[in-house]
Amino acid sequence: MTESDQAEKSSAGTAAPGQFGQLLSDNGIESNRLPDSCGVETIEVDRQQLENAVQRLRKSPEAVLDLLLAVSGVDSPESYDSVYHLWSTSKSGELVIKVRVAKSEVAPGELPEVPSLARIWSAANWHERESYDLVGIRYSGHPYLRRILNPWNWVGHPLRRDYKQPVDALNDKNPVSFR
Amino acid sequence: MVPEMTEELRANKLKTDEMLINMGPQHPATHGVLRLILKLDGELVKHCEPVVGHLHRAQEWQGQNRTWFQYQALIDRVDYLSGMFTSWALARAAEKIDDVKVPLRAEYMRVIVAEMNRLTSHLLWLGTFGIDLGAMMGLPFYPFREREELLDLLEAIAGQRMMFNYIRIGGVQNEAPPGWFARLFKFTGSFPDRIDEYEAILSNNPIFLKRTKAVGILPRKLAIDYGVTGPTLRASGVALDLRKVKPYSVYDRLDFAVPVCNRDGDTYDRYMCRIIEMHESNKIIRQCIEQIPGGTADVLREKRKACSACGKANCPHCGGDLAIMVKKQNAGLRVKAGEGFAAVESPRGVLGCYIISTGSDTAYRIKWRNPSFSNLAVLPELLLDHQIADIMAIFGSIDVILPDVDR
Repeated sequence: MTESDQAEKSSAGTAAPGQFGQLLSDNGIESNRLPDSCGVETIEVDRQQLENAVQRLRKSPEAVLDLLLAVSGVDSPESYDSVYHLWSTSKSGELVIKVRVAKSEVAPGELPEVPSLARIWSAANWHERESYDLVGIRYSGHPYLRRILNPWNWVGHPLRRDYKQPVDALNDKNPVSFR
Repeated sequence: MVPEMTEELRANKLKTDEMLINMGPQHPATHGVLRLILKLDGELVKHCEPVVGHLHRAQEWQGQNRTWFQYQALIDRVDYLSGMFTSWALARAAEKIDDVKVPLRAEYMRVIVAEMNRLTSHLLWLGTFGIDLGAMMGLPFYPFREREELLDLLEAIAGQRMMFNYIRIGGVQNEAPPGWFARLFKFTGSFPDRIDEYEAILSNNPIFLKRTKAVGILPRKLAIDYGVTGPTLRASGVALDLRKVKPYSVYDRLDFAVPVCNRDGDTYDRYMCRIIEMHESNKIIRQCIEQIPGGTADVLREKRKACSACGKANCPHCGGDLAIMVKKQNAGLRVKAGEGFAAVESPRGVLGCYIISTGSDTAYRIKWRNPSFSNLAVLPELLLDHQIADIMAIFGSIDVILPDVDR
């Protein structure tokens, strides 16, 4: 995706922090506002700050973002993103948090690391397993980071851009392929 | 001196051990293919690990390797009992990114078919929930009487009984065939009585009550923690229904109630929530038929004879609010660059679709947020310290559909 396209789409107010970005900066947590995704505030948070930030957003009475809808792994051109969609069950707030790990930081053969939120939200547990399985993002501190949709001994992460499909995954005669 | 071996001593000397039992993947009550690794202490479940993924069809991979037009037809398979909702979530997300304004008539058609689909889904759940509880006296097929009628109607309008591909990006596919609205209206008249019949069988049945009351209690906090949504969450006392909380489409013009329990919900509450929801969906359909701009398809067809169904945007009978599709449906279908998340309230909960588009013929990334995926994750907590016979009662009551989990 070209960044300029997105910037054009919502050029107004990308610099000023939104409601939740302001709340975070009031509490001394840095965040970087990204172009809104269809009218929903989108911020980028450094991975060291992630746990702090979501704890604050979840607990503070102005935000109460207590529902973690989804954790999506994205293999962007420049980085591996872990995207969190947060909602509030009692208010109408919505927030998208992105944690980006630049591809240049990831050594070949290693997986990008993002701190796990499974201790904060039980919902994160399965979603992070899925993101690990399909996109190959390692969530450090996850209690049980095991493949969830693909077989446990699957090789590679299918939603990576450079993923190569197995020659014959369906008729693989290897007995350990069957769970 | 050797003490006398009493019954009590003998029992204490018995070696007991926790047992690891594998349930599934093929099990008649698992609504798909689900494996549960259970650790049992006698009859009690001490630990449970669901193993999912047996029905993984790489829907997200398909999303970024198939054109938009091809992918629209595939996503009904994500949740095969409520295909309209997956189509709707994708269409809404794409329309948000694309800035497409869907004509009012198409929005009403969407609500009608989606609520019909909610009814078919809940009716099938009602039947299978009966089997899960051991009601083998034919109950599973009673609700199929109404379900068949609805599926016939859906087939008449969409061409398929379950994989509709009816709601598309930019509107809906077809105008209803002759007599369709009249049939549907007649159906909605008799439907509440039919639901009361099923309720008469179940709601006060002592066996049913014993099996469901105070079984599988889901506390409010735990439900939110796990991201549980839909009737399962509302039965636990959280009024999160997207149709009310974040009204989309024309739901803000319709008058309906959302059943919410005011305590931590058990299996019975979840059952009751769905029963009431069916009554409400029925109401919604009736209101839509009365409110839909242009009237029923038959009325509109008569009017369109004057302009010989020209299909022009400025025609008073074809264009504006009365159109049903604003985007060309062919292989050249494109969505502008951008990203967005849209959710609809499916029979199982919040069904979300997160799209990143670069403006090309395929999506850059499509991520599904499936209600069943999050709802199933809470199952180990619910099963803890329950009898092995209650596993299916609890599992049935959270209404998980496995293809929706595995995608």
